[in-house]
Amino acid sequence: MKNFKTWNRRDFLAQVTSSLAASPLLSGPSFLLPQSTNSASQTARSARPIYRTLGNTGVSLPIVSMGVMNADVPGLIPRSYELGIRHFDTAARYQQGRNEEMVGRMIKQMGVRDEVIISTKVLRPGWSRDPNQAPSQTYSAAEVKSHFNEVFQSSLNRLQMDHVDILYNHSADSVTEVHSEGALEAMVALKKEGKARFLGVSSHQPEMALKEAMKMGVYDVVLIPINYTMAKNVEFLKTIDEAARKGLGLIAMKTQAGGAIKPDPKLEKPLTPASQAALLKWVLHHESIATAIPGFTTYEQLEQNFQVALNLAYSTEEQEFLSDQKAVAAAQFCVQCGECRSDCPLGVDIPQLMRSHMYAVQYSNYELAAETMRAIAASKSLGACGNCQSCRAVCRNSVNIAMKIGHLKTLQSNGTLPA
Amino acid sequence: MVAPLWAGGLPTMLGALSSLLILALAGIPAFAAKIPTEEEASRAEMLKLVAEPLPGSAIAKGPASFYGPDNLYQYMDGAADIFVLYGVRQMLHLDARAKTADISVDVFDMGSAETAFGMYAAERSPEFRFMTIGTEGYKYEGMLNFLQGRYYVKLLGFGDGADALLEDVAAELSTRIGARPGLPALFSKLPTGNRKPHSEQYIPADPLGHAFLGPAYIVAYALGDQESKLLVTVASDDADAQRRIQKLEEHFAKTGKCETAPELGAGAVRASNSFEGTVVAQTKGRYLILLLNPVQGSEQLLKNAASGLG
Repeated sequence: MKNFKTWNRRDFLAQVTSSLAASPLLSGPSFLLPQSTNSASQTARSARPIYRTLGNTGVSLPIVSMGVMNADVPGLIPRSYELGIRHFDTAARYQQGRNEEMVGRMIKQMGVRDEVIISTKVLRPGWSRDPNQAPSQTYSAAEVKSHFNEVFQSSLNRLQMDHVDILYNHSADSVTEVHSEGALEAMVALKKEGKARFLGVSSHQPEMALKEAMKMGVYDVVLIPINYTMAKNVEFLKTIDEAARKGLGLIAMKTQAGGAIKPDPKLEKPLTPASQAALLKWVLHHESIATAIPGFTTYEQLEQNFQVALNLAYSTEEQEFLSDQKAVAAAQFCVQCGECRSDCPLGVDIPQLMRSHMYAVQYSNYELAAETMRAIAASKSLGACGNCQSCRAVCRNSVNIAMKIGHLKTLQSNGTLPA
Repeated sequence: MVAPLWAGGLPTMLGALSSLLILALAGIPAFAAKIPTEEEASRAEMLKLVAEPLPGSAIAKGPASFYGPDNLYQYMDGAADIFVLYGVRQMLHLDARAKTADISVDVFDMGSAETAFGMYAAERSPEFRFMTIGTEGYKYEGMLNFLQGRYYVKLLGFGDGADALLEDVAAELSTRIGARPGLPALFSKLPTGNRKPHSEQYIPADPLGHAFLGPAYIVAYALGDQESKLLVTVASDDADAQRRIQKLEEHFAKTGKCETAPELGAGAVRASNSFEGTVVAQTKGRYLILLLNPVQGSEQLLKNAASGLG
């Protein structure tokens, strides 16, 4: 097989199409619209949400849960519970603890502790993703363990609980972090003490985290981003299935690809909430995923998201959205990993242009989009793009780079983007 | 003899030629003065805030990093979501070391004093130890956060002497930021009696889970052992305020109950449902005023708020 970097567009599409045809996830009348058999039997409109079991934990959950985003809308928790949500996810560092406080207060007020699954997450000390900064200091395993225990005890105090159902090693984005000796020692002990029923790891490097978790046998649950932008990543999708077969409980976050609801500028009409539902349904058609934790900040968003738990069948509008390459591509987002930079022979600053596209298309903030572009050196900016017959840059997260650069050129030429 | 352009002769002609040359060169990018973008200007301002020398002879461990709404999660994980909700423009991060202590500096440019206050208040808890720094600040478990202008500054200290270093660095940053505006002006129009200290909030989007209520100002009041909250949403005009109360009525009629409350004023309503509790609401000009969890004696708050906003 050719090295993918030497592929032209025809090679790429041929490879993707044949891989998709082979994927059980993606079989069906349209490669974009998976119809998993078991879920299909449950897709008749039902008042009861669809439940799945979280790996070997034995916990049965509705397929839509709640990622608690904002401590200042406490009503969302009882309303979520009323609708049928039973799992609420928070973390020690969200709003400096106010998020956990609110979750704890509402669950206590509702008197439903034994009926819900509560998860929280603890970060290892010295955690920083900043590439320019060395860690403030290195910590021994004993120090990490002590810090972890201290932070977790504070979490239990804020939650007003004597245990959580899932305790995560938070944001473990490297093998070292997944294997953090101090964190694991703390977590295993906490599980033995009954303060954490199950242990989990959350990560933005999903494939790595799944593979490590499968090897280690310590984690019961893995919380990972999974969304439609990964539809073509066949290896990753296979890894998810393998992890589920091995008994890991899989929970999906960032299911709506960053929540883009602004339209492709070429589309005449705005994208509807159906696009959000379509993206969530796409994730949940994958039966290896036990539940998803979309974040929502309004009652309207809550109801739209939870409808998915009642009915996974695609509506006509949702089918159209997923079949519309432009609309779906507009929902993708660049994670600014920078790996595409070396792909472009002309040195175009693709990540910055993708940022500009996001401001223009997702936020309709054309001023900010233009500012972002102006910050790029002319030799690397939009004008430097050579409109190659087939774009050489390949996004590792499946963002359609060429299409988005095309959008920016259109917006600039029609005056929508200020000079 | 050179024919003059006008009655000035050769020197004037040379001056005119010079002017033309300058104008021509100005059209060439290399020679044109570059006007910084807003993002560049903001970054430049933020870099000045953390320029050395820093207190305690702290030295930066590396260059400062900047994060925007799209990649802030890479630095803060899911904690970034709320910052994006509050409209963060960009964040500067810097680590520095001074003798035996390390300090981590995060400066958030929230775009405006209002949203900076909103984000600061979203993380503020009444149990923090408040201090006079910037517009307001507090210390808690090795961190010192403060609000000043459009900046929300978060400092973390580690090691011996970290506590003192935090205060010194905060004081220096505050001096460098300069102007020290107070809390958003609308709060001064709301009742002060029984107001719970440090309970003010500004929520730019989706307050109480309703998009139509944004932006909104909230204050908590203590009446005995009970708490009520006043929420004031600022509409674009009187008609918009009426539309908002109508949407509120529709929401509660659908999810619970809603009835008129004429004892509170013309157009006032009392509403409740199983997940939001009880609310009384009325409009005053372009404001929609809500009283959340009204208890005995608190309904006067609604009237006083309406009076203050008039």
